[in-house]
Amino acid sequence: RHVGKMAERGSLEEMRSRVVLGEFGVRHVHTTDFPGSYPGYTDAWDPVTFRQGFHVDVTHMDEGLLEFDLVGIDAAIANAFRRILLAEVPTMAVEKVFVYNNTSIVQDEILAHRLGLIPIQADPRLFEYRSQGDEEGTEIDTLQFQLKIKCSRNPRAAKESSDPNELYINHKVYSRHMTWVPLGNQADLFPDACFRPVHDDILIAQLRPGQEIDVLMHCVKGIGKDHAKFSPVATASYRLLPDITLVQPIEGEAAEKLKKCFSPGVIEIQDIKGKKVARVANARLDTFSREIFRHEELKNMVRLARVRNHYIFSVESTGILPPDVLVSEAIRVLMGKCQRFLDELDSVPTD
Amino acid sequence: MIMKNPEVEFCGYCITHPSESKINFRIQTRGGIPAVEPFRKGLTDLMDVCHHMLSTFEASVKEYKAQKETEMD
Repeated sequence: RHVGKMAERGSLEEMRSRVVLGEFGVRHVHTTDFPGSYPGYTDAWDPVTFRQGFHVDVTHMDEGLLEFDLVGIDAAIANAFRRILLAEVPTMAVEKVFVYNNTSIVQDEILAHRLGLIPIQADPRLFEYRSQGDEEGTEIDTLQFQLKIKCSRNPRAAKESSDPNELYINHKVYSRHMTWVPLGNQADLFPDACFRPVHDDILIAQLRPGQEIDVLMHCVKGIGKDHAKFSPVATASYRLLPDITLVQPIEGEAAEKLKKCFSPGVIEIQDIKGKKVARVANARLDTFSREIFRHEELKNMVRLARVRNHYIFSVESTGILPPDVLVSEAIRVLMGKCQRFLDELDSVPTD
Repeated sequence: MIMKNPEVEFCGYCITHPSESKINFRIQTRGGIPAVEPFRKGLTDLMDVCHHMLSTFEASVKEYKAQKETEMD
């Protein structure tokens, strides 16, 4: 009976903290640790326990990509950050395109659509949202860009050349041809800043001699919820930390087979007293292809699981803001929302 | 957050129609306290969680950058 109780305890811990990947389904997916769910456990919210259990580890960071671990929070909050990063962190992007002349083969609306998708290197925290119904735009909420380019024939090209790079001047319109036109006092407010597209070499359109494009663009501040062009991340995703345990010791040929079933680096073979013994070296690297379930003799010897409150986030920025700034901004957006509801609760009289 | 409150007997939400951004949120307490209180407490607890996360994250990023600096040198 004692053994039974121990096994129960073990499986209870597993149910509370792990998402188990079975052969035909995934078990214990939802968070169940709420007050009253488990006798003997008090799961009421306690900030002290939270602070003790919570930590952040940054594993990789460069200008474009940030990978970090968030340990000790609930799935709902981790998912909230992912969603906020995708849809509610504001950026600046081209919204209105005033077409003065477009004799290129690209239609006006297609050109406008393409210009909107170009990421603009402008810190959105320096600007305000445009007020409703304001058509003109003021200097505090609008950035103006101009794209004026005309294609002509190159008089110095060779007679028999068929290479468009040689025959024509300005036949490819790149994002580097977009120039910033300061509005109002922007030239004084931002003397050193140069607002330009993040990447210089985005091909916008192609021209032939005689065609020209002359447009004026207004950039405004917006969020990804409104239009995907305002999303500041290339993508933001997370996965749960894998947890692989060998239920029984695996040796010899089976060990080699086991190693092949997982991503490279997960399983390591050690030589103990002449026999090859398998050991889980680094479960974090695994991508859970579940290859192990295709082998009858191995599938019951391994338990595949994920740790339910350990999130490995990967945030890739489009270049407008560095990814660590993006995560901080996302947390601030969530705080702003909480504050807004708290203020509303306090202002509405409750009877 | 609100579910973690032992006074709360029921907590749920549903979205009335996908084209409107409106959520029907229902909190039912065991009868001891008015239902607005868990809502308020939940929001303040979430604010605290966010504050703590922000400071921990920024400290972690700083530490990583400092470590990178020392590695470069």
